[in-house]
Amino acid sequence: MNAIDLQGVTKSYGRTRALAGVDLSFDRGVTGLLGPNGAGKTTLLRIVATSIGADSGTVRLLGRDPHGTHGDVTAIRRELGYLPQELGYPSDMTAFGFVEYVAVLKEWNDRTRRLAEVRRVLDLVGLGDLATRKVSKLSGGQKRRVGLAQSLLGDPRVLVLDEPTTGLDPAQRADLRRTLSVVAGRCAVLLSTHQTEDVAALCERVVVLAGGRVRFDGAVSEMIRTAEGQVWLADDPGHDAVVSWRTGTGRHHVVGGMPPPGAVPAEPTLEDAYLLMLGADARTASARAAPA
Amino acid sequence: MTDLALPSSSTSLRTMAGIEARRLARHPAFIIGNVLGFGVLVLMAVLDDAPAFGDVLSTPVVAAFFIGLPTLIATARLTRSTEATAEALGTAPGTEADRTKALALACLVPFAAGLLWLGLLLVVTVTESVHPNEWWFGTMPDWQVWSILIALVPVACLGGGVLGVLTGRWMRFPGAPAVMVVAVVVVTMVGQLPVAYESASELRLWVPWAMWHSGSDSANGTADLLAGNPFFYLLYLLCLCAAAALVAMWHDRSARTRRLRFAIVGVTVVGLACLALSMTTGSSENQRSEPIPFQVDK
Repeated sequence: MNAIDLQGVTKSYGRTRALAGVDLSFDRGVTGLLGPNGAGKTTLLRIVATSIGADSGTVRLLGRDPHGTHGDVTAIRRELGYLPQELGYPSDMTAFGFVEYVAVLKEWNDRTRRLAEVRRVLDLVGLGDLATRKVSKLSGGQKRRVGLAQSLLGDPRVLVLDEPTTGLDPAQRADLRRTLSVVAGRCAVLLSTHQTEDVAALCERVVVLAGGRVRFDGAVSEMIRTAEGQVWLADDPGHDAVVSWRTGTGRHHVVGGMPPPGAVPAEPTLEDAYLLMLGADARTASARAAPA
Repeated sequence: MTDLALPSSSTSLRTMAGIEARRLARHPAFIIGNVLGFGVLVLMAVLDDAPAFGDVLSTPVVAAFFIGLPTLIATARLTRSTEATAEALGTAPGTEADRTKALALACLVPFAAGLLWLGLLLVVTVTESVHPNEWWFGTMPDWQVWSILIALVPVACLGGGVLGVLTGRWMRFPGAPAVMVVAVVVVTMVGQLPVAYESASELRLWVPWAMWHSGSDSANGTADLLAGNPFFYLLYLLCLCAAAALVAMWHDRSARTRRLRFAIVGVTVVGLACLALSMTTGSSENQRSEPIPFQVDK
C-alpha cells in the first residue's frame, strides 16, 4: 500500500483548471514537485494535506479516504504534517508556544510528552535556543523553520511541504536538507519548490507539473539525463536556445537549440532539464514571477 | 478553513482552553481593563466621604464597562490571531470548532475577574456599610440582589469575552472589535433608556446589560429599583452567552451538525422564554426607595 495514491484527480477554481487528471503514487522517501507558477503544485499539496478536496478522481491517503468518515479523516490527520506555502503566526506566541499549540491540536494530551516532543522538533530544526522568543521577533528564515517544526510533530508518515526553503539562507537550506534526510527514511515527504538544486540534493524522485498535468515523473538522475547533449558552454548565446545566460567566466551557458559555433558540451543540471522540458512555459512563468 | 467534513475530534479541550486562558490573561486590553475596573472601584471607595456606600446596585456598570468591553476586544483579537495559521491548523485532528470552544471556555477568566471585582465590592459595602434605605440586602430579597450582581458583573464580563469570540469568527474587517464595542454600548443605551422610567420599564430587559437601579435622585435622595425579574434576566444573559459561543462554532463548516443546530435553536428558545419570564414575573413596576439622607442634594 502506498502512503499516497491519486488517480485521475481533477480540481478547478471557477473556470480555471488547476489539476487535470493527475495519477500519482508516493511512498517513503522525498519527492520533489517542480513546475512553473500556476502549474497546480500547491493545489496538489493541499489535496494531499486534506486541506481541500478534489473535484473528481480517487484520493487515498495511508489507505484511507480523506472524504470518508470522521474516523478516516482524523486517522489521516494524526499521521500528517503540513507546512503551507504561507504561514502566519499569532503575534503574542513564542516559537515554543506556537508549536505546543499545534501539538495540542494534534492530540498530544500528556503534558510531559508534549513538551518533550515540542523541544525535540525545535531542536531538529535548529531553533532550540530561540524557543522562548516571540515568533514575531524571528527572521523570515527562522519563522519558516518554526513552521517546519510544527509539521514534524509526532513523526508523521506523510509530510507535505510547500516551498519549505523560501526565505532560508544557504546554511539554513543545508540544515533543512539534513533534517529532511533524517525523516525521509520513515515517511513520505512531498515537497514543492522552485529551487531545482534543492530537489537535486534532496529528492530521489521528481515530479514536474505543468498546466495541471504531470509532465515528468521519475528519478532525478533520469530527468537530468533527458538534457544530455543539449547543454553547452559557448562564446555566443545561441540564437535558437531555449534559454542561455552569460556565466561568471564570460562564456554563455546555452540550453537547447543548435550548438553555437565553438560550443563545448557541458554537464547538464536538473535546472537545465527542467528548462528544456517546459521550454517556453518555464520562461513565461519565470518572467511573471520576476520582480519588476 | 478546511473544505472537508470533519466533526469535532477528541482533542484535549481543557489543555487548549488553558493555553487560550493564559493568552487572554496576558492580553494588554484585558490587563488595562482590569487595572481600570479595579482601580475605579478602589477610588470610589477611598474618595467617597459619605457615611455609607451608596447606589451599590448601579456600581456594576464600572466592571461591565472597564472589564467586559476590553475583554470583547481581547478575545476577538485572540480569535482572529490564529487565522493566518488556519491552513496548517486546519489539517490537524483538532478543528476550528474545537479552538472556538477552547476560546469560549477561556472566557471563564474574565468571569473570574468579574467575581473578584464583585467580591471587592462586597468587601467595600461591608467595611463602609450601606444605608438601610438603599436597595440592597434587607430592603429587597437576597436572591434578587445576587441575581442582579451576578448578571451585571461576572456574567457581563463573561458575555463580553464570548461576544468577542463571536466577533472574531464572523466579522473579518479591520476594527471589527471596536465596531462591536460601540454597537453594544449604543444598543444597551438606546434599547433601555427610553423605557426604563416609563410604565413598561420591563421592556428594557432585552438589552445585554440592563439597569436595575436608577442611581439616587439628588434632590430627595430616593432611588428606583426597576421592574422585572432579575433571576430570569440572569438566565437570559447566560443563554445569550451560550448562543454566542454556539454560533461562533457554527462558523466551522465541518461542525455544522444536526446536534449543533438543535443546540442553537434550543438555547435560543430557552433564552427567549427566560426573557419573557423576566419581563412578566417579578415586580411589574419600578419601586422607589425611602429617602437616603446623605444622598439628598449631594
